[in-house]
Amino acid sequence: MQLVVNIAVLAAIYALLACGYVLIYRVSRVMNMAHGELSMLGAYLLFTTASLFAHHPLSAIAAALLLSVVVGVLVYTLLMRRMTGQMVLAAILTTVAIGILLRGMVVLIWSAAQQHPLQALELSNPSLELVGGARISVCAGLIVLATALVYGSLFAFLRFGRWGIRMRAAGQNALLAAQRGINLNAVYALAWSLSTFTGSLAGMLIALDSGLDQSMVVIGLKAFAPALVGGLDSFVGALCGALIVAAAEVFAIHYIDPLLSDVVPFLLLIAMLVVRPWGLFGTREELDRV
Amino acid sequence: MSKKTLLAILIIAASYAGGASQARAQDAYLIGITGALTGPSAGTNGPPIEGLRIYIDRLNATGGVNGKRIQLTILDDQGEPSKAAANAKRLLTQDNVSLLMISSLSSTYAPVVAESKRANVPLMFMGAVCPKEVFPPADPLEFCTTAYGSGYDSRATLAFIKETAKEPVRLGLVAMAIPLSRGEIDYAEGEAKAMGMTPVDKEVIPPPTADYTPFATKLKDANPNWVFSWAPWVTQVKTFEALRRLAWEGDYITWGHIEAESELARLKDARFYVIGANSLFQDNLPVHKQIADAVKGASARYPAEQMTEGWIGGMVLEAALKSAGWPADAGKIRAALETVKVDTKGLRGGPIEWSKDNHYRARQYYRVYHWDPAKSAIVQAKNWVGYDVR
Repeated sequence: MQLVVNIAVLAAIYALLACGYVLIYRVSRVMNMAHGELSMLGAYLLFTTASLFAHHPLSAIAAALLLSVVVGVLVYTLLMRRMTGQMVLAAILTTVAIGILLRGMVVLIWSAAQQHPLQALELSNPSLELVGGARISVCAGLIVLATALVYGSLFAFLRFGRWGIRMRAAGQNALLAAQRGINLNAVYALAWSLSTFTGSLAGMLIALDSGLDQSMVVIGLKAFAPALVGGLDSFVGALCGALIVAAAEVFAIHYIDPLLSDVVPFLLLIAMLVVRPWGLFGTREELDRV
Repeated sequence: MSKKTLLAILIIAASYAGGASQARAQDAYLIGITGALTGPSAGTNGPPIEGLRIYIDRLNATGGVNGKRIQLTILDDQGEPSKAAANAKRLLTQDNVSLLMISSLSSTYAPVVAESKRANVPLMFMGAVCPKEVFPPADPLEFCTTAYGSGYDSRATLAFIKETAKEPVRLGLVAMAIPLSRGEIDYAEGEAKAMGMTPVDKEVIPPPTADYTPFATKLKDANPNWVFSWAPWVTQVKTFEALRRLAWEGDYITWGHIEAESELARLKDARFYVIGANSLFQDNLPVHKQIADAVKGASARYPAEQMTEGWIGGMVLEAALKSAGWPADAGKIRAALETVKVDTKGLRGGPIEWSKDNHYRARQYYRVYHWDPAKSAIVQAKNWVGYDVR
């Protein structure tokens, strides 16, 4: 039973991070290589707001999430907007540069020392006993819950929301969408802000569960594998990819060799690229265009 | 003012500034350091460099060494071998440093060592793991002030476990998937068997891991009553916390990196022990107050209790330069380092003493700390125990 819980938690972490990659790719065909750094920045923002709202954890989290949305909009309006009409590669390289910039900024502002937002918020993270004797920490449980909520909301938003439908339209054919009067800049800015929001939420919850340091960048990068395995333009794919990668990782740790856990996501990724390059639920024509 | 006149003024000003800087450099001891100021290991390697910088600034403010300033050039390598190699080359060929220092990941060592050998300039490891070349018989150019030393750390830890355990020891071992950590834990596994303990599981955890619970689950299933971890702090403490969340109630002992003091106070777990070669600030020695005061006035990014490694590096550097005299080239500094004996004023259990064959220290001391819930404070679980380094 503990293995099932471990898979659920790891899959939730990957899925929450992966949906940020999918959001931006689906709308603008850009692979955001700074997603890990943006997630880390969100967690550091929480660390800062935690000191401002010491006895009000919900206010601190809400303020940090709001700031992360602003960061997402700023990244788009100040940098990514200028990449419109340029080669996709130029946009990807811009995200790489954003990542490097953010990593440096984080050290300059917060130092590279390990931080504990949970402690700053004066909260604790007890573990709860589940059926079958399995245990889960409160923060890990929140990660699973948040992932379910985020995906549920995204499905509803994209299917029924006015802006969600506009985002889908822009993703399917940007030129046609623009000709129909859809404001592409607003749609792209929304995609960047939502992506940063979900990434930051993941970063914050991971930091609350197990502390915060620069290694979060690598965790963000690892979530790229589930997104690709599932299909870069599919949310269902991101969920399934996260579940597959997490299960493979946990089983490898438990039954084969813990060292394999680092390799397994990328082995699956390579296998998927060989067999079905557009991923489990991805669209074939979309990948051809990349 | 015409453009030509302006250009001429700029050229004269630049050459004057360059000349002045060269003159200042010729009138100072030139020391270069490459380290991971940013990147994944910056939390471990950054504070020692900052501690060293604060020590040197303080020394320069009081007249330097032998009446000369120490000019410290610090370059960031982000823990990447290629950047460390470029830094070393620049420091040796452009900045003409007489002593090269490094505080970075062990993967950066090989290119830096190669550059140091090519230039025949001594290399001092500080706040980063000591390579085997500094232990007897030592490489003539390599020296190390860092607290931890492979082999000795495991022996001291296992001796503490044996002495403290009230029942037969079923030992779990935790390493990070980097060569040095794995090597030490493999060594500890062999030693533990020789000491009559039963190693029940060994988890080698890859660096940056999203969730440590799967590793802790496997470890807990093996039912250890003691766990020993020798790895970067992140791996050590996150594995412990994951074990506790799984309701594991055994004893956990781990290496006391620079983060140990604040983490002991955060975790408040009586059965979480840290073993280390540096005293903690809770001991409240005069030297601790000295460091805290210096850090307070230096707008440091890291807390004072993380500066010990850098402070010791500064003490050794000061002693070596004092003994090398003025002017001091790389050869004189190397010769001075070989005879260094520094009283660490309680920061370590004994002096840092080097000889021709031993560039680690003649005797390595260990102390164990843990949290005492009754006193609500960090206390010593075992006072200094010394091991001869041979």
